[in-house]
Amino acid sequence: MPLLFSILEFGSALERWLAQDAATVQAARYAGELGGDTPELRRFVGDELRTAGIDPDAVRVDVAPSRVGWREPVRVSLSSAYPVSIPFLFSTTVPLRSSAISRGEVNR
Amino acid sequence: MVLTLVIAPLLFVALAGVLQLGALRVAVARVRAAADLATLVAVNDQDDAELARSGSLRLSADAAEVAREYFARELELSSSLLDGGADAIAAAADVAAYPSAPAYDTRTGARYERPTVRIAAQVPVRTPVFGALVLRPVTTIEVLSVSSPR
Repeated sequence: MPLLFSILEFGSALERWLAQDAATVQAARYAGELGGDTPELRRFVGDELRTAGIDPDAVRVDVAPSRVGWREPVRVSLSSAYPVSIPFLFSTTVPLRSSAISRGEVNR
Repeated sequence: MVLTLVIAPLLFVALAGVLQLGALRVAVARVRAAADLATLVAVNDQDDAELARSGSLRLSADAAEVAREYFARELELSSSLLDGGADAIAAAADVAAYPSAPAYDTRTGARYERPTVRIAAQVPVRTPVFGALVLRPVTTIEVLSVSSPR
């Protein structure tokens, strides 16, 4: 029984990781378009995460550097903790980290 | 009791296989996204002089180098999944830029109606659980990404 639950729980964690990765790629692309970390980007990330069934409040978003110019690389990282609970064995959280890099498109 | 002892190893193997397959799926998605972002970044950089002069979209002269550089940068973010250095994998990738259209891709046979950047790469990723199960410890992901400006 714990093994079967392990398959289900870790499968669910991997699915969540894929969804978070996809949101990160879109966010990096948008960060390049906006020229860094802006309220629009934060709203976009929140919407993407909600669409994927992830609570945005449970995800940490980092944009480095926070402001980029034309042709400068910008990195967006999302990190969260996914709770995994295996009956009769253990409960823990699995850290899920996603990062993507894009390039600034704003000629300041 | 006997049945449990017989089935438990099978279930452990099934669990390990499922986790490895899931990790491989994440790796495939990341490699695809890396190639897609790299080609997107490369085609976003237009030849401004040509755009101002004729109004037509034309790739920047360094589009292929930019695509390769960003492919390496993206792969570096997933270096723990790769069986090899991100720079080496990106260096071995077949990156082609077609600055003006129409153009024919000799590798894929595709005809491009717009300026295009294409990446074709083989990316080896670690699959240690498969290796322990007498399968391949390294799985090669083939990725093809094509981007054009609109």
